[in-house]
Amino acid sequence: MAGPPRRLTGRRAAGAALALLPLLFLGVAFFWPLWDVLRLGLQVDGRWTGERLQAALSDPYVRRLILFTLEQAALSALLSLLLGFPLGWFLTRYRFPGRGLLRAFTIVPFVLPSITVALGFVLFFGRSGYLNRFLMAVLGLGEPPIQVLYTLWAVVLAHAFYNAPVVARFVNAAWERADPTPVEAARTLGARPLRAFFTVTLPLLLPAVLSALALVFVLCTLSFSIPLALGGARYATVEVGVYLYARGVVASFPRAAALAILTLGLSLVLTYLHLWGGGTFSARQGGVGLAPTVPLFTRSRPSRALWLLYLLPAAVVFLGPIAAVIADSFLHPAPGGASPTLHWYRMILSPAWNPFIESSPLAAVRTSLVVGGGATALSLVLGLSVSAVLRRVRSRVLETVLMAPLAVSSVVLGLALLLAFRRPPLSALGGGWAIVLAHTLIVYPFVVRAIRPLWDALDPALPEAARALGASPFIAFRTVTLPLLGGGVLAAGAFAFALSLGEMTAVAMLSGPGVMTMPMAIYHFLGSRDFGAASAMATVLMGTTALAAWAWDRAGSRWLKRDGASADSRPPAENAPLSFASPPGGGEGRVRGNPPPSGPKPSTSRSAARPFGRFHA
Amino acid sequence: MLEVRGLTKRFGSIVAVEDFSLAVAAGEILALLGPSGCGKTTVLRIVAGLERPDSGRVLLAGQDATDWPPERRGVGLVFQSYALFPHLSVAANVAYGLRFKGGDRKGRVGELLALVGLSGFERRKPHQLSAGQQQRVALARALAPEPRVLLLDEPLSALDAALRKDLRAELRGLLGKLGMTALYVTHDQGEALALADRVAVMREGRIEQVAPPADLYARPRTPFVAQFLGRANLWPGRVVSVDGDRAIVEVAGERIAAERGECRDGDEVFLFFRPEWVEVGEGTFTAEVESAEYLGDRWELRARFHGLPLVLVTAHNLRPGNTFPFAVSSALAIRR
Repeated sequence: MAGPPRRLTGRRAAGAALALLPLLFLGVAFFWPLWDVLRLGLQVDGRWTGERLQAALSDPYVRRLILFTLEQAALSALLSLLLGFPLGWFLTRYRFPGRGLLRAFTIVPFVLPSITVALGFVLFFGRSGYLNRFLMAVLGLGEPPIQVLYTLWAVVLAHAFYNAPVVARFVNAAWERADPTPVEAARTLGARPLRAFFTVTLPLLLPAVLSALALVFVLCTLSFSIPLALGGARYATVEVGVYLYARGVVASFPRAAALAILTLGLSLVLTYLHLWGGGTFSARQGGVGLAPTVPLFTRSRPSRALWLLYLLPAAVVFLGPIAAVIADSFLHPAPGGASPTLHWYRMILSPAWNPFIESSPLAAVRTSLVVGGGATALSLVLGLSVSAVLRRVRSRVLETVLMAPLAVSSVVLGLALLLAFRRPPLSALGGGWAIVLAHTLIVYPFVVRAIRPLWDALDPALPEAARALGASPFIAFRTVTLPLLGGGVLAAGAFAFALSLGEMTAVAMLSGPGVMTMPMAIYHFLGSRDFGAASAMATVLMGTTALAAWAWDRAGSRWLKRDGASADSRPPAENAPLSFASPPGGGEGRVRGNPPPSGPKPSTSRSAARPFGRFHA
Repeated sequence: MLEVRGLTKRFGSIVAVEDFSLAVAAGEILALLGPSGCGKTTVLRIVAGLERPDSGRVLLAGQDATDWPPERRGVGLVFQSYALFPHLSVAANVAYGLRFKGGDRKGRVGELLALVGLSGFERRKPHQLSAGQQQRVALARALAPEPRVLLLDEPLSALDAALRKDLRAELRGLLGKLGMTALYVTHDQGEALALADRVAVMREGRIEQVAPPADLYARPRTPFVAQFLGRANLWPGRVVSVDGDRAIVEVAGERIAAERGECRDGDEVFLFFRPEWVEVGEGTFTAEVESAEYLGDRWELRARFHGLPLVLVTAHNLRPGNTFPFAVSSALAIRR
């Protein structure tokens, strides 16, 4: 035997320390700051009271915030359904070249940083945007026909841009899984196609539709940068309200804290409702049949050309804003026609001080990269250790505690850290650290979500074999477990990086002099009508996020394929792009505590259909 | 070389192993045999250090190893699933345990792969091997660091029947050649009887009997052991007289002589005898054939004797409905 035997109790202690590490981190960086928010909102002179909440609720402005939040969320959910359901139907029903590509494309809106989408909407739907200019030229109008910016409808339309694909994926997944025989039975019993659709197909799809609606409603309730950039102070949501009270001209931390508590309560209630509903909805799911598809292009059915009436406007809504951003980044506007240029790209790499962003563009890029790198590293360490703890201790309470940051929106998180960084111990760190910590807290739950299924699918005998061959627990982890999780960890890292790069909510709450990231810079460029620079930076940002999402996707499907034999959580190959560990919402804080955008997965549909399924998986 | 004393292990309310004691001598192959779920794998995992017993001790070469972590125990473990590292080549798999020891790794890897007949496969990945080859790599990997004890957890159960039989003989030869001390967990009685120097039969977390294969087959101590190893006739009866090693057992009103075993006069017992211990055409008892199954070189008959089921093998061709005289050439009384 080599060396003196170590006591088993020593290993126990090491295991306990492993569990304490993430708890300690979350305690200092999350629970304590959150406690500060609760105290600020619920205490007056050291006394617990609801006074501040009452005062906030009786303020007409706050009431309008709440009403507007719910109103826009409901409208957004409905519009998402209207736009998304036909797409889901289309993807399910018809065979045509590029179907797989189109399906893969439905993930694109979801990974885009939402400030870039807001920018796209301004450029495309704005008064002098591409759409208005096109319509004015074609119809010969003197006035821009479409005036939606800085209204409720801009917010709703942008939310639909994000969430219609989510609905489409839900519908598509549920439909493909639905057993086709009831419809066939209805047909043999004399129902005509349309009647069979309304009496059989639609009721079968209803659970998925309701799940998707509830999900979209939650997402839009917690949305931040879309209403901030497209709605302004007038059309602000509660989340934006927290920001305005915390960072606006009439700053009031107690009021911000009271609003934060309101939005926290709102998101918890909605989450609970969604969970409750999700459980009920998914109970009826679970068919295995594949709905039969028909070719889209046949001479005998010219009626299918009617689809163009939907597809063309949809393509305009989805592709227009993105195309507008990319186009503007390469164009030099000039009276009488724009000319191609790389000027804007040179500008965003310029080290010259820019008064609008209170920093230099290059410094913003650098800050983004440094913050992203730091948050990625921290969230990987935290995500791996949380996964390790949750593998050992199967406790729902511990899981809820260790994943708790998921249930808190980015704005609230930002407010908590803003308060925490004003007092020891965190005040010892610089302002950039607040953003790194916020991003770490936002991202690590997704790292956990990405890694746990892979880890669970790993044969537990493998590290045991390493131990029996003489490896210490750490060596066994480093030489066996980590290499086998490898691709998943790398992909999670890429995804964490992309998420951090695009995140704006926490940055808006926490940015200070000299601490400026790319999304914030875009926001300020947008505010100063500096569209070229904003577009160039947004294009770079979109490219980076898309690349990371793609890497995440590839690695994910590859890994699942390789360990396929043991991975029962394996999604079907066709749905792999979204199903794999479900990349969450836009690289931005628009969705926090957000669910995966995946449709219900065949094998894990129960958890996938709910935003907080991970608490109950 | 290996000894466990009074092991008890519970998982929640389930008792996996209870007051389990066993000793394996140096160079001995001991098979731990039992139906699935009887706790045999738990014993193996406790010995390997992968589970901690609630009570009891594990001794390795006389030293108390109960609290040692697995990597300090110097035991080799062959998993049922082989647990080959999928990201490492065959050579790297075999070399894994050598990195924690000094010495000539490359030479040792070559030596072991030659030993299991896989020279030339060094660069392959596990998934490029057949199941039988994977099994050999797992064996070579476990043997590489020269363990004091080799633990094998159903190492052949994932293979098909023909391959299993070949590898069984090969494994026996290899372990014998190396003089390896081995604890071999299996639910396959044929494997246990063919491979082991001694067999420990387990049931519900406890040992029923430990004995060399031939003894276990011929002289089971309990009805469970009698039935678990091969086919058995077990007739309920009572010991009516005892004379030295012999006893007279009364079964269905008839008196039959048997080995006494551990029974005393007046005990309620089973009269146990194997099908091949029945001699057809002799003796004073008669039985009636219920069914006959042709096995090629002989017949297996199911018959009734005073309402009791009788299984026997014979070269005689008897048809259902035939009656025949028989004698039990050898029998054992087992306490009920």
